[in-house]
Amino acid sequence: MITIPYVAALATYFSYGLLFVFGHIRDLFRKITDCFSSNNLQGYAPICLGNEDFYQRRLYQRIRDCFERPIASAPDAWFDLVERFSNDSNKTLKRTTRIRRCLNLGSYSYLGFAAPDEYCTPRVIDSWNKYSPSTCSSRVDGGTTVLHKELEKHVANFLGKQDAIVFGMGYVSNSAILPVLIGKGGLIISDSLNHCSLVNGARGSGATIRVFQHNTPSHLEEVLREQISEGQPRTHRPWKKIIVIVEGIYSMEGDLCKLPEIVAICKKYKAYIYLDEAHSIGAIGKTGRGVCELLGVDPADLDIMMGTFTKSFGSCGGYIAGSKELIQYLKYTCPAHLYATSMSPPAAEQIISAIKVILGEDGTSRGAQKIARVRENSNFFRSELQKMGFEVLGDNDSPVMPIMLYNPAKIPAFSRECLKQNVAVVVVSFPATPLLLARARICLSASHTKEELLKALEVISQVGDLLGIKYFGAEPKKHQQEEKMMKLE
Amino acid sequence: MANLYVKAAPPVDLNRNTEWFTYPGVWTTYILILFFAWLLVLSIFGCSPGMAWTIVNLAHFAVTYHFFHWKKGTPFADDQGIYNALTWWEQIDNGKQLTRNRKFLTVVPVVLYLIASHTTDYQHPMLFLNTLAAIVLVIAKFPNMHKVRIFGINADK
Repeated sequence: MITIPYVAALATYFSYGLLFVFGHIRDLFRKITDCFSSNNLQGYAPICLGNEDFYQRRLYQRIRDCFERPIASAPDAWFDLVERFSNDSNKTLKRTTRIRRCLNLGSYSYLGFAAPDEYCTPRVIDSWNKYSPSTCSSRVDGGTTVLHKELEKHVANFLGKQDAIVFGMGYVSNSAILPVLIGKGGLIISDSLNHCSLVNGARGSGATIRVFQHNTPSHLEEVLREQISEGQPRTHRPWKKIIVIVEGIYSMEGDLCKLPEIVAICKKYKAYIYLDEAHSIGAIGKTGRGVCELLGVDPADLDIMMGTFTKSFGSCGGYIAGSKELIQYLKYTCPAHLYATSMSPPAAEQIISAIKVILGEDGTSRGAQKIARVRENSNFFRSELQKMGFEVLGDNDSPVMPIMLYNPAKIPAFSRECLKQNVAVVVVSFPATPLLLARARICLSASHTKEELLKALEVISQVGDLLGIKYFGAEPKKHQQEEKMMKLE
Repeated sequence: MANLYVKAAPPVDLNRNTEWFTYPGVWTTYILILFFAWLLVLSIFGCSPGMAWTIVNLAHFAVTYHFFHWKKGTPFADDQGIYNALTWWEQIDNGKQLTRNRKFLTVVPVVLYLIASHTTDYQHPMLFLNTLAAIVLVIAKFPNMHKVRIFGINADK
């Protein structure tokens, strides 16, 4: 449930209406001027069908300089941002040689492994020299090295499952696995805010897809009951298989899945459950084991656990963990295993070293310190932002905190104003989020120190005052209240 | 007024082109835009209030007919073109007929027609144009007209 100030909603609709009207007027003029100029493209089909690039051309391009900014260093707590300029209102963006040292509030490196690490990096360089950067073949041909086998064992142990399989790309771990697990005659029930990779995988599988309201176990139960009683469409035979797909942390909302209730419902109705822990693995839970540890769910209750190594482990790729039979089946059916190039060996070594650091097997307590620090940072930052009056989404302990902006004009304003003060933030708008609910998403990491967080808070507060996004009204400062009480006495 | 908050549950509508219409505040914005458009027309043309309402009614007819019943598909490419044969009116509420949003959108042209014809004292030619606008808009919104293309106008190739 998001609380929207009514005036902000009205202003947002009006702004989008205005932007659409201007876009259509410009398109009209473009059509008129194009009538006069001839082109020699007879017989060629158009690249875009109908008006499907309208949003891209008329709305996204106006604020294109806030997205896809190139960086010139590793994405640690601070990074070097390359400055760009445009002479034709963002149609082309040219890079300059100037760089800007900015505070990084947008990277997903929750445990700070994106920067060179004293334990991981020497080992990665060793494996680079020993195993070369790429295996140049698929897992079944010549691409399985000892590192891959060791990595799968480590991942399975870390999660408490019987076995695991790893892939070179996180997105493909979803979109190539779902078609293999379920097909026509099956039912997929997915959360309404699931990631694009899950949606693509579900569409590619050919199963019937139903959606339940985000994080609402009661609605999931309603949908399950309705679908089980109706059976397959048209024939009304019972479903061959039902899979419920949820995510650990939803990256646009920052809120945790209500896993205990959903697992209970799935057990009751005998549906399989597929948990995508892309953002939550390594970042939450007492020892970093993800949302199961945080919410006290037994990993044995989850049938398929999926995750990616891109966020907390500072590498690339994804994994699926489950029972031995499941992984064996995936190894001989999944196209990502049979045909795609296997994970790069240094990347696999980075993950193995990162897991060892997190579990403390490197001999230090740096892993536990990192996990504690990211949790403290997230809770501190979130509570401070809420005290200042911003509307921040997400649950406690989640390192992802979106700040609501709503109005389309505030999206580039927030991004550019923060950049002027050397704080780099990520802003998200339609169509990744619903039309009304544009937001700025802050991702904290264990490598942020308290001073950096305070500086970021100061900058965000100033920009927030300038833009008027403190929708909830700041709480009065405590010492002012005490002074007033002292004066009365 | 500044402290009025509304709660919005994220809707289950997957079509990003139409799900913005399910959030609170849309109806109010629509009515306010019509009202301010009337004020704008009055100040630019300096005509009588009735003429201004007629102009707003006809402009509303042109704009809503074009965007609701003529343009098909969605303005972005993310949904891979599954709605390319449907106009916006056919897409809202996932094609379900006679929902609250559809009833509201059907009532607005009728109310505008009543206001415009009343304030012009039912004189021709404004009455004829207003009636034409109201009839076309209301017929286009009938449940029986769902996915109907008369004489193949605006059908897919």
